[in-house]
Amino acid sequence: MRTVIVDALLVATVASEAMCVLGVLAGATVYDRLHYAGATTSVPPFLVFVAILLRQPHPYTNPVWNALFVAVTLFLLNGALTHAIARVIRQREAGDVEL
Amino acid sequence: MNVFLWASFALVALEIPLLLFAARAPRFDALVAVEAAGGIWALALMLLSQGFHRSAYTVLALVASVLVFAGSIVFVRFLEKELDP
Repeated sequence: MRTVIVDALLVATVASEAMCVLGVLAGATVYDRLHYAGATTSVPPFLVFVAILLRQPHPYTNPVWNALFVAVTLFLLNGALTHAIARVIRQREAGDVEL
Repeated sequence: MNVFLWASFALVALEIPLLLFAARAPRFDALVAVEAAGGIWALALMLLSQGFHRSAYTVLALVASVLVFAGSIVFVRFLEKELDP
């Protein structure tokens, strides 16, 4: 049963990343692309974390902790990066970041 | 070949269109593509270490997840004033 869940999680990871890549490539504006680029590190890292957690015989192992750190780091830092990029684009387009 | 390796190869394959797009697009669009590619690359490294049963290599993904942010923020800084979009 665990094997099936791990397979499903990894398929969901690849499918969601593929959708995000399509969104980045086919986005109409840079803000649309930014939306999909931010989504690449929202859910999929946590799917990978759960898949690795289920694969390990014991939950408190090195790969599990590293996978958790990677998931949280990507989630937080990529969000900040997305915000920084959007801010710079807005500043270059409109001369100001105020709405 | 196990499922982790298949998934990691699929993620590495997804890098190709992103990098091709980044090479040809305007700078802001390219930066967005590089951001997406960096996150996917860190996940691919994590899956590769699991697929090859080398748990010590998960540190690579750990370092990559931080350096992707650091590398991209340098471009953000330059695009803020110095470089034309």
